[in-house]
Amino acid sequence: MVKAKFEFDNFLKAVSRSELRDLVAASRMKLSLPQVQQIIAHAESLEAATLPLRLGIIHTYTSDLLDIWLAFEAALQGLDLQTYHAPYGMTFQEAHAGSGLLRHQPDMTLLMLRREDLHPDLAYPVARLSPSHQDELRRGVLQGLMSLVCQFREHPVGQIVLTLLPSLNGPGLGIFDAQSERSESAWWARLKAEIGAAFRESLRSSLFFDLDEVLLQIGRADFFDHRFWYSARFPFTAEAAREVARRIVGLGAAIKCPRAKVIVLDADNTLWGGVIGEDGMAGIALGPDYPGNTFVDFQRRLLDFQQRGFILALCSKNNPADLDQVLREHPHQLLRDQHFAARRVNWEPKPDNLASLAKELNLGLDSFIFVDDSSHECAAVRDALPQVEVIQTPAKAVEVPFCLDQVARLEVLSLTAEDHAKTEMYAQERRRRELMENGERTGAGSEPYLQSLAMKMKISLDCAAHLTRLSQLTQKTNQFNLTTRRYEENQLQEFIGGDRWLVADFSLADVFGDSGIVGLAIFALHADRRAELDTFLMSCRVIGREAEGAFLHALLKVLAERGVGEVVADFVPTAKNGLAKDFLPGQGFLPSGDGRYVWNLERQQPRPESVFPIAIQMDV
Amino acid sequence: MSIFEQLQGVIASTLKVPPAKITETTKNEDLPASWDSLGHVNLMIALEQTFGVILDVEDFPKLISVPAILQYLRDQGIE
Repeated sequence: MVKAKFEFDNFLKAVSRSELRDLVAASRMKLSLPQVQQIIAHAESLEAATLPLRLGIIHTYTSDLLDIWLAFEAALQGLDLQTYHAPYGMTFQEAHAGSGLLRHQPDMTLLMLRREDLHPDLAYPVARLSPSHQDELRRGVLQGLMSLVCQFREHPVGQIVLTLLPSLNGPGLGIFDAQSERSESAWWARLKAEIGAAFRESLRSSLFFDLDEVLLQIGRADFFDHRFWYSARFPFTAEAAREVARRIVGLGAAIKCPRAKVIVLDADNTLWGGVIGEDGMAGIALGPDYPGNTFVDFQRRLLDFQQRGFILALCSKNNPADLDQVLREHPHQLLRDQHFAARRVNWEPKPDNLASLAKELNLGLDSFIFVDDSSHECAAVRDALPQVEVIQTPAKAVEVPFCLDQVARLEVLSLTAEDHAKTEMYAQERRRRELMENGERTGAGSEPYLQSLAMKMKISLDCAAHLTRLSQLTQKTNQFNLTTRRYEENQLQEFIGGDRWLVADFSLADVFGDSGIVGLAIFALHADRRAELDTFLMSCRVIGREAEGAFLHALLKVLAERGVGEVVADFVPTAKNGLAKDFLPGQGFLPSGDGRYVWNLERQQPRPESVFPIAIQMDV
Repeated sequence: MSIFEQLQGVIASTLKVPPAKITETTKNEDLPASWDSLGHVNLMIALEQTFGVILDVEDFPKLISVPAILQYLRDQGIE
């Protein structure tokens, strides 16, 4: 009790929202509603919440009682939360122009449905149906659900998040359910997988958030409060309400906060216990026994984050040879050289190393999450680089594997093939750079280097299968971007579907590997044989390989073949895109006098493929 | 702090009303804008968490005034 009081008083001593968030995340203390009110008031006294998050909630059970927990989590994340609750049970009605939801202009719309809302037959046990009738019911449920969600998707309701309230009871057939051919749990598991697949394949900006995951974490007995459920249609205990709210607001943070891209890791006492320079290979804690097993698990968790599209980098004060030896030879080390996109192993101050990592990776420091056990290093980074999110590795080894699980910006709302392989691509880039630097040292210049890469470019036109990645590129590309126009997937889908637009993308492969889709161009095609270059961007990963020029000229050729006479283009300067400033004139576009650029295809031929060190393949 | 003062604080923070508006005789009808049905559920949760009691569903509709809640807490041996 005394300890809890001390812990709570500490929350109220936090001097910033981020410190408060870290303290709360590291604590396992249960908070009462009055305490939550006090913490919210304290957060609001610290600094203004600058990022607005407009949340709309459509629900068939009481959702208003979540408000205090949503406000609490938003206060920790520094979000200014405005919540609209639709009238109880009104679902379809809110998917219409002029509804309360649409007037609220939500960034995110949460659908909180009960399982029994999905189909009248679900009032009766699923196990009463034969397997084939069960399949039929599942098809009916899925169809009804998709048609509901699609109605919302047609309107500007922001990111859609669908949840289903878990079942109040265990499976109908009890323990035997697991092996019955009529298993209820298997039926729901299949349905959930089908909902996930349907969302992935045909719905944009829509996410299925499986509340069963929260139920697993908390346990059914502690998830539901039967008294409030039966008397007020509010299902959650305080513990469940807090965790559900935490994850919902976390998704909001993933939408509204600057996107995290890199996890920078300290080594000693973060990736293993102990100090390699002092304890040596045999002395560090890393292996099957405590405490080494906690660090193995943490490394395993880091590989999960890598699969979510975050890249890993190392920043450690050590002798490079000591660290290399662990990465290469330690039998229980999971993270090897190829898992790190970049590293700084030296005795320089960590803020300087982070700044130079940002430069090497071509990424902003606001996309960095820095993990270190030393309060001294954490403070130094917080102080010098406030835009970097700092997570201190817990002092207790048993808590280390879970220390990143509450970081909201490590949730992702979509994933592409590029995301799964991102660190791999950065590691390839590191090998390319080494090859190039070798060439420079011998004075050979860049041309032999580019030739030695044997690059192949694949250009796709109007390819709907690439939508997620293309939208992601418009959202994330800041530097090599002529106009910096951001597009949602549904907007791009309209461009691709219509004949008044040409949407082209490219991927680039070379001897080191495939970059995935890294470039996008969007042309508006006008009736008077004019085309306007609406968007032209390229990921910084492939800069310096002449890909942008090869792509542009290949597309000019396509336009000429389609009868376009003139292409008009703009450079719209921003704080970050100075890199692309001279691109259009450099490629042969002429200033047209009104601040725009023009290419007359009747008078001026595009450059042929042969002048670029890249072989092009068109995929139409 | 007396039980009443503690209760006053809990009601004020849960229903977001100034503590001065809550006296030893306040009823839910006196605070129609905040002590509504949702506010009441929140208050029940807050009472449990603050005083360490476990309420029955049957208690919810009875605990709609300060005197009723004070009596309930006294019956539970909380002084």
